Amino acid sequence: MTAYFIRRFLLIVPTFLGITILIFVITRFVPGGPIERIIAQAQQQALEGGSAAVSETVQRQPLSDDQIELLKKYYGFDKPVLVSYVSWLGKLVRGDLGISTRYYDPVWAMIRERIPISLYFGLLTLIATYGVCIPLGIAKAIRHKSAFDDASSVLVFVGYAIPGWVAGILMILVFASHWEIFPLGELVGENFDTMSLWEKALDLAWHSMLPLTAYLIGAFSFMTFLMKNTLMDNLAADYVRTAMAKGLTFRRAVFGHALRNSMIPIATTFGNNISVILSGSFLVEKVFNIDGMGLLGYESVVERDYPVVMGVLAISSILFLVGNILSDMCVAAVDPRVKFE
Amino acid sequence: MNNGQPILTVDHLVATFDTDAGRVRAVDQVSFSLKAGTILGLVGESGCGKSVTALSIMRLLPRPAGVIESGAIRLNGVDLVQLAPDEMHRIRGRRIGMIFQEPMTALNPVHRIGQQLVEVFDLHRPDLDAVQRYQAAVALLSRVGIPEARARMDEYPHQISGGMRQRVMIAMALAGKPDVLIADEPTTALDVTIQAQILELILDLQKETGMAVLFITHALGVIAQICQEVAVMYAGWIVESAPAAALFKKPLHPYTQGLLASMPRLSSENKSVLPIIRGTVPSLHQLPPGCRFQNRCPHVMDRCGKETPGPVAVDDDHWARCFLLEG
Repeated sequence: MTAYFIRRFLLIVPTFLGITILIFVITRFVPGGPIERIIAQAQQQALEGGSAAVSETVQRQPLSDDQIELLKKYYGFDKPVLVSYVSWLGKLVRGDLGISTRYYDPVWAMIRERIPISLYFGLLTLIATYGVCIPLGIAKAIRHKSAFDDASSVLVFVGYAIPGWVAGILMILVFASHWEIFPLGELVGENFDTMSLWEKALDLAWHSMLPLTAYLIGAFSFMTFLMKNTLMDNLAADYVRTAMAKGLTFRRAVFGHALRNSMIPIATTFGNNISVILSGSFLVEKVFNIDGMGLLGYESVVERDYPVVMGVLAISSILFLVGNILSDMCVAAVDPRVKFE
Repeated sequence: MNNGQPILTVDHLVATFDTDAGRVRAVDQVSFSLKAGTILGLVGESGCGKSVTALSIMRLLPRPAGVIESGAIRLNGVDLVQLAPDEMHRIRGRRIGMIFQEPMTALNPVHRIGQQLVEVFDLHRPDLDAVQRYQAAVALLSRVGIPEARARMDEYPHQISGGMRQRVMIAMALAGKPDVLIADEPTTALDVTIQAQILELILDLQKETGMAVLFITHALGVIAQICQEVAVMYAGWIVESAPAAALFKKPLHPYTQGLLASMPRLSSENKSVLPIIRGTVPSLHQLPPGCRFQNRCPHVMDRCGKETPGPVAVDDDHWARCFLLEG
């Protein structure tokens, strides 16, 4: 089994190279990018300058070829794409994700700044999902077809059907605008720095309430029904009948026998939760004006801020690949039949 | 316990299932009694209600579809049908043990064999401490013929063969020293050679402990080997009940006669046609009025489609549900 996991970890390297080369090449060939943006800015300035001597050539191309060459050199577009990729990779290995072409900040610093926000919402979502879905799924399986089961199914499905950002807008309208119970947005209040620790915690919780609900609202259905359905399958399994025949109570047969078997499908995705470090939903962040990872990732693509795109991609793909291996380890931990060779 | 005294009496048991096509009586007016220290064979083809009878006795019918509608199941005079769920937990495993058909799925795949066996001692032998329970489990595994029992304790079900798993099942069923063992087709899923070993083991253990065994099977050969008494089931009814010797010597019901005739014999001529029972079992959803065997019976009369045949006793303990016997 150890050999298997060592092999899996080694396989991360070629997979990672494949993902990053692909995206790197795409960023080089899609239209847009820092140079075109600078050209556009120069055009804008030239127009605003209002000079009567604006010639048609300037309108079409305000920068000289030399200037463009200089820019290409500055952004590294003068070299062939693979050469640029290798130099990006070389810097990555040394822990340097490059400089944002839009904000001129180090990419790593931009990402690091947002990790606490991702972690905060990610961990809360994680705890709430597992904390609600597993007990709820168990209760629904045991009381299958009861009024409780039907009512909770309706709630969970309605939540699933409403996109998080729509729920966010609705909640802002109702709870922040109409009743003014919760703030309109942002993660902390204006005078956060002057608060005591306790006030800070309260302020953060108060601000997080609506966005967290928006993050969570659709998250329950999958896990709840995965839990319910696998547990029901296991409750009907022969070994549960055997356990009852031994003299166990139904309760002990459920919790002592069926439950662990039902954890196997849950474990298949558990390791991927490591990705909470970079989690974030662009739409929810936009609605609540939270400057998190979702917003950063989305804007970097829209603005063609390729070092940021590549930086976010590099970290998230490594997390994803490691997460898959962790999930396999979780499955091996709960299911003794799993033997990785 | 006196041999020959009924220890488990099933009295006019009716068990029903709710299906999409309506409620069916999987077990209808089934009565038999199991005498202490003996083996009663319950024989019949798939779907005739054998397993439903067994699960009714254990009160383990799949809920909510399966229900005991009426009748009584008396264990030493106590009606199990009337017991509260709490009280039933003290009967299962302790007073009645059960072995299931599928050793591949009847053990929990994620628990070690030792853990699953010791659990029975945990439930029913509070007088033993943890070490004694472990030792008792190892001793029992050795007793049911599992080599290197101590090492097997730490293994998972998927690591041992089907025959070994069935031995583990038997050990689990016997760990509480039950008075009654229900064996629901315990050899059906096994190879022929392993079947013989398991039968022999059950027979040995029965003699050793003096427990009564309700042995469910579709194989008449198995019945002949180990049972003292036989009840033949057909479409939810017991159609004939007799001591094993009497049943094989003088089968009364046309169904039993057909079953016996359709067994290949060493004495029969080579490559001759094997007699069969023509037709198929009626669906439980559309049972004909009268006798349930009428559509396949070679002796069918007008009366069979109108009246329901009751049990007719030919001998003290030999009866069958057939009008031919009333003659």
